[in-house]
Amino acid sequence: MKKHQWRANTLPSLVTVGPVTLWLLFFVAVPLIYVGVMSFCSLDQYYNVTFQFTLDNYKRLFDVNYIKIYGQSVLIAFLTTIICILVAYPFSFLIARTKSKKKMILYMLVIIPFWTNSLIRIYGWKTFLGTTGWLNTALQFLHITSEPLELLFHRGTTVLGMVYCLFPFMVLPLYTAIEKLDGSLLEASADLGAKGFSTFFEVILPLTASGIFSGSIMVFIPALGYFFVADILGGGNSDVIGNLIERQFQSGNNWPLGAALSIILILITLLLVKIYQKLGGDMESLGV
Amino acid sequence: MKKRILSVLLAGCMAAALLAGCGGKSSSAENGELNLFIWTEYVPDAVIEKFEKDYGIKVNVTTFSSNEDMLAKVKSESEGTYDIVQPSDYMVESMAAQGLLEELDQSALTNLDNIGSQYLNADYDPGNVYSVPYQGGVAAIGVNTSKITDDITSYDDLFKSDYKNSLVVLDDYRATIGMVERSMGLSVNETDASKLAEVKDKLLSLKDNIKVYDSDSPKSQLISGECTLAYCWSAEIALAMEDNPDVKIVYPSEGAFKFIDNWAIAKGAKNYDNAMKFINFMCDPEVAGMVMEEFPYLNCNQTAIEANADYASNEAKNVPAEVFEAGERDKVLDNDTIAIYDNMWTELKQ
Amino acid sequence: MSRQGKRKTKKGIGIAFCTCVYLFLFLPILVIVVNSFNATTSKPYLTWKGFTFDWYVRLFDNGALLSSFGNTIIIAVVSTLLATMIGTLGAFGMYKYKFKGKGVIDGLLYIPVVIPEIVLGISLLSLFTNVNIPRGMLTLILAHVTFSVPFVIFNVRARLSGYDNSIEEASMDLGANRVITFFEITLPVLAPGIAGGALLAFTLSIDDVIISYFVNGQTKTYPLKVMESIKSGVAPDVNALSTLILLGTIVLVVLTQSDFLKKKKA
Repeated sequence: MKKHQWRANTLPSLVTVGPVTLWLLFFVAVPLIYVGVMSFCSLDQYYNVTFQFTLDNYKRLFDVNYIKIYGQSVLIAFLTTIICILVAYPFSFLIARTKSKKKMILYMLVIIPFWTNSLIRIYGWKTFLGTTGWLNTALQFLHITSEPLELLFHRGTTVLGMVYCLFPFMVLPLYTAIEKLDGSLLEASADLGAKGFSTFFEVILPLTASGIFSGSIMVFIPALGYFFVADILGGGNSDVIGNLIERQFQSGNNWPLGAALSIILILITLLLVKIYQKLGGDMESLGV
Repeated sequence: MKKRILSVLLAGCMAAALLAGCGGKSSSAENGELNLFIWTEYVPDAVIEKFEKDYGIKVNVTTFSSNEDMLAKVKSESEGTYDIVQPSDYMVESMAAQGLLEELDQSALTNLDNIGSQYLNADYDPGNVYSVPYQGGVAAIGVNTSKITDDITSYDDLFKSDYKNSLVVLDDYRATIGMVERSMGLSVNETDASKLAEVKDKLLSLKDNIKVYDSDSPKSQLISGECTLAYCWSAEIALAMEDNPDVKIVYPSEGAFKFIDNWAIAKGAKNYDNAMKFINFMCDPEVAGMVMEEFPYLNCNQTAIEANADYASNEAKNVPAEVFEAGERDKVLDNDTIAIYDNMWTELKQ
Repeated sequence: MSRQGKRKTKKGIGIAFCTCVYLFLFLPILVIVVNSFNATTSKPYLTWKGFTFDWYVRLFDNGALLSSFGNTIIIAVVSTLLATMIGTLGAFGMYKYKFKGKGVIDGLLYIPVVIPEIVLGISLLSLFTNVNIPRGMLTLILAHVTFSVPFVIFNVRARLSGYDNSIEEASMDLGANRVITFFEITLPVLAPGIAGGALLAFTLSIDDVIISYFVNGQTKTYPLKVMESIKSGVAPDVNALSTLILLGTIVLVVLTQSDFLKKKKA
């Protein structure tokens, strides 16, 4: 009996689930635990990590300057998410409800730009918005402005870059949710005398809320970490938490402090995911 | 459908990889290899190719963009990953103290007498046991004179409220805080906490004037007109002057933040002899001449400078001796002081 | 009549809005394509110095750029294959067999998906440094498999949720053993999910910047090469390569799509 159990269940489950489990343990669990440990470590005079317990890294995290940057980063992520929802919702609605065969093409047109490297596209924005960039040149040529507008290196430019990078992650779940909407339901609502507005708020919005939630998770969290966008378009004026971590792991050379900063980011992520699950969000839909 | 896209994509990729493989040059490697770990935008490709051709050694280049970044990688990679590293002055001292550098075989350095004597036997490496100077410079002020007509002479002038949102500074906390310290008559290695509190106030007063932080290519900000003032390396200003004749260089009256970058051999280098050949090759006046054409830093090769009148007479490239003499180098600071510097930098950047 | 007119304006507004969004999405691409024809040779390559095809020729002399592209493809292909294999097996096993700790594996799976990439990047860097695996092609592949495996699993699972167990039983009744059944019966059914997951893994791999940035060592991928060149101004040959890659993918999509449409009609 025991032998049968082994052959029928234990052995095959080991063979199938074993590799991925080992992989996840070794390359996800162990590194994260190590980062957690490192965040309590000290640094010697040559920037080496030494395993000597300290709370200094965490004390530094509560420095008012760091807190202001977390605030700035959360603000940037929040604005990015809101703008993505406001633009992507009507947009996804329009392409998902297109009846013709064009729908697939319209959908692919959202994806295609993302097969070009994201850095070079962000740099494209920099070229476009610079003092002598395309936009300023055009505006001055048309005599709309006489002096070049200062478009680069603001918080707003960073938000623009984030929206640009993360927009499809809002469109995809919304598109899926809206496509699932049953057309007859909308008609029924209209037949029952509901006006456009109430149909939207009472029928459509609740049915597509799941798309908004998963889209928000997929936009908000990465926006906290995309340091290269803040570097290229923000010019160092609108750093996000990702910049702080990157600095400690590269030029700052204080890995324990960087590890502690990463723990902050992990906690924010956990909090958001918990809220998402409370709202009935499905984890699986974040990855399909 | 996805499957079909995938298979066609894969086929396309295989073809692309093949193409990329063919495109890559097959360099001669009859005399082994050499692994360089150098600053980005610092050694011309043509120089590397010349070395490969002359010596039949295949060179692999990896780049870094700060001393600390380089140090972290040298320490975290296994020994023998890199043969040659390119540390700045204070980093030579620090790496040597940590036993991360090999001593140089002085007998192989037949070209060393081309190097200006003022750069040899420096306090960070007496007797040049570990390092040979390559090039250096000072952090100077670049001014677009078509937009800024005031007479700027010092670091202190950069703090004027007229220059709101017009300055590019190095995205390097030691260099930029060092500038503030020099403007107050302090050392760039100040450690006194109460003085550093004053430094912080003055640093924060610069915030409104800073438009962008850029260590990689501050010249672009001057050339494109994005910024009208720059606090950056002399060579960057020299390059901006070539593209935009309105740009001029100002050496600060307070004495500048200066640096010298050096060649050194990493501990456990697998290709020690090739590395010595390379360092000696870099001291060749002809090679140094190629370097100064493309990256016009303050070249340490005196023979090469004498042979190039254009370079020698260009004060942005060939930094005047008295300016360099009056400058100050940064040193390794203790962790507590670093934390103070890091905090004020974080406060500036929010 | 007026109702129809209203509908028309509504439609018009809709089309105008979508056009604006597409413009927003494609604007930087237009910049890249135009700059790939810029005859300028001086950094930061911003001023327009006339039209030229030169960069498309010179591109093939830039060994470092081409080999970085080669590296990207190798890493993407190898990591996609690995992730697809262990992911498919894992998804199947988790669906079919009972064992303790399923919840833990699920939890671990969600981490690479939701966690900011920079955290995964620095934690893998710390691990590789600590156990002294030299950074390079190997660590890049390990890292890329790590962030793509969950996407493969989720896609295969979505397919499995409609999977009919009885066909496997039928196959076993007919005398096929477990392994043969898996390869002959199960795998073909799961194929669309596997392909979808693999496509996603591949796409994520070729565009990854942040994680590769931390674990690359001396091996440069194409995105990292771009990152390097951004520092001094993106050279037109990088723009040219990007344009070619984009063109290549569009051609592939058009080919597969039109093929698909034809099949559907027939």
